[in-house]
Amino acid sequence: MLWDLSRGDRLRYVVAFIALALGLLVMFGVPRLIGFAVDVIAGEPLDVSGAGGVFGAIERRLAVAAENHWLAALWVVLLTSVAGGLQFLRGRWAAQASESVARRLRNRLYGHLARLPCSFHDGSETGDVVQRCTSDVETVRAFMASQVVEVARATLMIVLVVPILLSIDVEMTFVSVALYPLIVVFAVVFFRRIRTTFTTMDEAEGAMTAKLQESLTGVRVVRAFSRQEHERDAFAAASAHLRTSNYSLIRTLAVYWGASDFLIFAQVMIVLFWGAGAVQDGNLSVGELFTFLQYQAMVLGPVQQMGRVLADSGKAVVALGRVREILDERVEDVDDVSLDGADVMGSEGASITVRKLTFAFGRDSKPVLDGLDLHAEPGEIVALVGPPGCGKSVLVQLLLRFYDAPRGTLFVGGRDVLDWDRAALRTQVAAVLQEPFLYSRSLRRNLALGAPEASDDEIERAARDSVVHEAITSFDEGYATVIGERGVTLSGGQRQRVALARALLKDAPILVLDDALSAVDTKTEAAIVDALRRRRGKRTTIVIAHRLSSVVHADRIVVLDRGRATQVGAHAELIATNGTYRRLWEIQSSQGPELGETA
Amino acid sequence: MTLLDENKHDELRAEGFDAKLWRDLLTYTKPHKRVVFALMLVAMMTGAIDAAFPMLTRDVIDTVAAQGMAADLSTLGVRYAVLVACLALCIFTFIMLAGWLRTSLSYDIREAGFAKLQELSFSYFDERPVGWLMARMTSDCDRLANILVWGVLLDMVWGTSVMVATVSAMIYLDASLALIVLMVVPLLAWISHVFQRKILKAARHVRGFNSRITASFNESVMGLRTTKAFVREDADLGEFKNLSGDMWQASVRNAVLSAAFLPLVLSLCSLAIGLGVAVGGDRALSGAMSLGTLIAFVTYASRLFDPMQEMAVVFAEMQMAQAAGERVLGLIGTEAAVRDRDDVAARIAANVPRDGLAEDGLPDRVDAIAWRDVSFGYGDGPRVLDGINLEIASGSTIALVGPTGGGKSTFVGLLSRFYEPTAGAIEVGGVEYRERSLRWWQSQFASVLQDPHLFSGTVRENIRYGKLDASDDDVEDAARTVGAHAFVEQLDDGYDTEVGEGGDRLSTGEKQLVSFARALLADPAILIMDEATSSIDTETERRIQSAIDCVLEDRTCILIAHRLSTVRRADQILVIDEGRIVERGTHRELLDHGGRYAELWGQQVSPGDSRPIGVTA
Repeated sequence: MLWDLSRGDRLRYVVAFIALALGLLVMFGVPRLIGFAVDVIAGEPLDVSGAGGVFGAIERRLAVAAENHWLAALWVVLLTSVAGGLQFLRGRWAAQASESVARRLRNRLYGHLARLPCSFHDGSETGDVVQRCTSDVETVRAFMASQVVEVARATLMIVLVVPILLSIDVEMTFVSVALYPLIVVFAVVFFRRIRTTFTTMDEAEGAMTAKLQESLTGVRVVRAFSRQEHERDAFAAASAHLRTSNYSLIRTLAVYWGASDFLIFAQVMIVLFWGAGAVQDGNLSVGELFTFLQYQAMVLGPVQQMGRVLADSGKAVVALGRVREILDERVEDVDDVSLDGADVMGSEGASITVRKLTFAFGRDSKPVLDGLDLHAEPGEIVALVGPPGCGKSVLVQLLLRFYDAPRGTLFVGGRDVLDWDRAALRTQVAAVLQEPFLYSRSLRRNLALGAPEASDDEIERAARDSVVHEAITSFDEGYATVIGERGVTLSGGQRQRVALARALLKDAPILVLDDALSAVDTKTEAAIVDALRRRRGKRTTIVIAHRLSSVVHADRIVVLDRGRATQVGAHAELIATNGTYRRLWEIQSSQGPELGETA
Repeated sequence: MTLLDENKHDELRAEGFDAKLWRDLLTYTKPHKRVVFALMLVAMMTGAIDAAFPMLTRDVIDTVAAQGMAADLSTLGVRYAVLVACLALCIFTFIMLAGWLRTSLSYDIREAGFAKLQELSFSYFDERPVGWLMARMTSDCDRLANILVWGVLLDMVWGTSVMVATVSAMIYLDASLALIVLMVVPLLAWISHVFQRKILKAARHVRGFNSRITASFNESVMGLRTTKAFVREDADLGEFKNLSGDMWQASVRNAVLSAAFLPLVLSLCSLAIGLGVAVGGDRALSGAMSLGTLIAFVTYASRLFDPMQEMAVVFAEMQMAQAAGERVLGLIGTEAAVRDRDDVAARIAANVPRDGLAEDGLPDRVDAIAWRDVSFGYGDGPRVLDGINLEIASGSTIALVGPTGGGKSTFVGLLSRFYEPTAGAIEVGGVEYRERSLRWWQSQFASVLQDPHLFSGTVRENIRYGKLDASDDDVEDAARTVGAHAFVEQLDDGYDTEVGEGGDRLSTGEKQLVSFARALLADPAILIMDEATSSIDTETERRIQSAIDCVLEDRTCILIAHRLSTVRRADQILVIDEGRIVERGTHRELLDHGGRYAELWGQQVSPGDSRPIGVTA
């Protein structure tokens, strides 16, 4: 998958790799150069006979430069600057490439999520999905941006430095890398083994955060029962648990870094004293010893880092797997489409027919709709009432094809919903769903969601008909007010009314209100119902409600119970009949409607 | 304060350096004085040892160069080995100490913050969203502890000691050459400083985009059905692509800055090295300097940049973290608006527990409550309650009726002393309640709220929250009394069913029943029911009416309700509007009176007639 995602950036990676290699080569010239200079100053003959080819040519060039130590100094600055430039280019290209991979992955996930069927989202937790799309992608990005680069750098360094060292002195080369395997293996083994310690700490931190969040969101309950001390104890326990697991992680880390740094300094020490011995024996010049020491200083850090990175790369594999699970989910299929001119019905309205509709969410679960029959002509208002779980809302979801009804049971405009293109069908229906969702953008953009071209006048009219215009203009920035996390919080009733206005603006042939006015007070509700009747034209309207005052004016009221229609008729008829509707009506009249909006 | 404001605030705070703030934060290390001292000592030693290695290398080389085969390197070898061992030990020790200190500091600050949050009054919470408080208590605490310990106590001390040791060593080796080479240091310091700030700012910019990306994903999952219903899939993806494009740009900019920084300082260092080689070479040729010294000089010059960079990072991070420090210290330093008066606190401290007496030495009994000319306004705002006079007999039920925003909730807040009157007095058994212990008074209450919040855990644990030492039988009895037992038994694991975060796995009605049971188990002297049945559907409410009656029996009860059917049995009904009691009496009396209440009642019994109810939406 990463291969696939890197399309278009592979060249950048290759060029970055070349820049990396070149930069290292130039960089490695510096210690050699200074080593030569030291030998020249010490009056020793320069020994460059060891290598042929390009290496040899470069060495000879460096040796010539070192003849004058002022010139050598100039070259040091020059080489470092060139190496720096290459290093900069490498960093830039690598960053562009890996960020592009991350961007592509994010875009693909985002597009994919919106096309997944509702059943996928029912079965997964928001937090988990979001985490896969964000922190798991971040893990993959970090892997591409730094871990791959780190490993490449450390590997290249060794690959490049070993020939250089060999050309100076074979024995010293082996001494120079003596402890490298140990340093890398130690890091890999160590970080693999303490992974559980990290997990324990993450869990402890999660528990502490959860406790904190609960205590803060439930602050009113805590105070209502004066449980402050209880909360303090519970939080202190969670916090202390985190502290303990932190301590143990630190102990392990301290051992690691102590030991690992010991190995590194031991490696330097071996080179210094072995080299000093070689100088005594006349096998090595002082300048060469200095060169060996400088290479250690350059290479040891990345090598130490590499072990750690290798151990961590497992995380990236896991993260990529988690991301993949989402991308492998099947999207809503779009193959069974028959898109033609008839898909757009405009304002002529559309009939809705339900024939012996039986539907269950899973194969083994109880049907939520059980042989339902229903019909609505263009221009009609049909109301659905019934106890919670009677199947009212399911019908809406089927109408929008969030789930698929069995063939031959649900028709819109005379055509089976399964024969509709999903997008075209959804364009026919303006729905106000239960607990409507608003985007954290400006109110104007929220309202114009279904009609991006709508003029300010149209927007305002829809808002007035939904009795939310005054609430909106009471905000400092009116229709430009941003709502949600980054802005103003709306009350439940305001949200419902904004969602209603949004649906009205969409101006679709079918309007569905799924318990859309539950948080609106009775007076406002009456005004809205009035406006809806005035505006309906040829529009088919389905109203679902708990509160009967929303449905009294409907052309037809359908009483649902356990997935089937038990009563059908106008308000006056149903009141006159002994049945569920009359019983509900009596209960609600004796208790009365709420006195105000419960904000 | 919105997120945007906060970011702006951070930028502003990041400009200067607030020494007082850091001194204040350092006071948190006082309890760990010895660890702090040890840590600084080890950091200094580490720096000194670090800087000692080139000197030893010099000795080795000079010995070999001067004496050749005859030289005995064993003493130097032993010395070197000892230094390596010491360094490893130092590293181990400072990680232990710093890690320990960091963890403890973070714990201490968090603990202090949480304790303060338990004291602070609701007005504090009203102004701050939970997410804001969470960030203060988690990431801010960690960040401050990190900077304080790893940054200030470790890196700064280490960096300073390396610099001091390196500079002294260079001066010791050759003072004039040292001065020449060290000329690059100010330049190095300046570039490090400028770049680290830029890099940190760019990184913060990236984090900002990152959180917007997270918010976008969150929104796309939460709003999935809306997106589908409005066929917005492509439009939303288009907007997201813009955002992820901006993110790309910010990230690349950040990476490019980092990629530019290191080569730049390395080139500067090479200038120092070059100077060392050139001028040092002259001296070595003239015999004024040994070969070993030259090599040591060059080595020191190449290592100048490490401590400089570390210190620049710490300094930049400190500046960036100042706003966080201010917020955390601000939280901890906030005085609780409602707390025991000094004399009451003294009385509590001096009190010897005795039967029948509360911790403040006064009777442990809630007698009649009297409101005398009580007025209240939030902050400098207008009066929300104005001149309330009222007698609440012990064991009676008071119902509050009136429009949203009329002052009902404030009434309850004042009674429970979550807020205190700005004028007037509330007396309990003839004693002003500010004369009583706050803890005692608040423990007399239990509430059932409109939006019943449950804690994650089992149903049983949630009910038991009302009385922590209640037995399982007590819990189930309470559930039976309020009519919750039947539905709890139906749950998969009965009373041991996990209710989920905030009780989300239960329906609102079920949550309300559990919160009823919880309040009943608490057996409070005063029960507050704030819209407690608003989310329960008509049939269920009828079913639990008897439970409500049973809960009300024999205790003082304050009832807020929209539906008048729930309040008609109250001993006293108060119609509250615009901060005043506009009518009071029993249901019968108020109906006979023919005022606001009678009007409301009239509307509720004939819902077909949807006349205005005097409530603005």
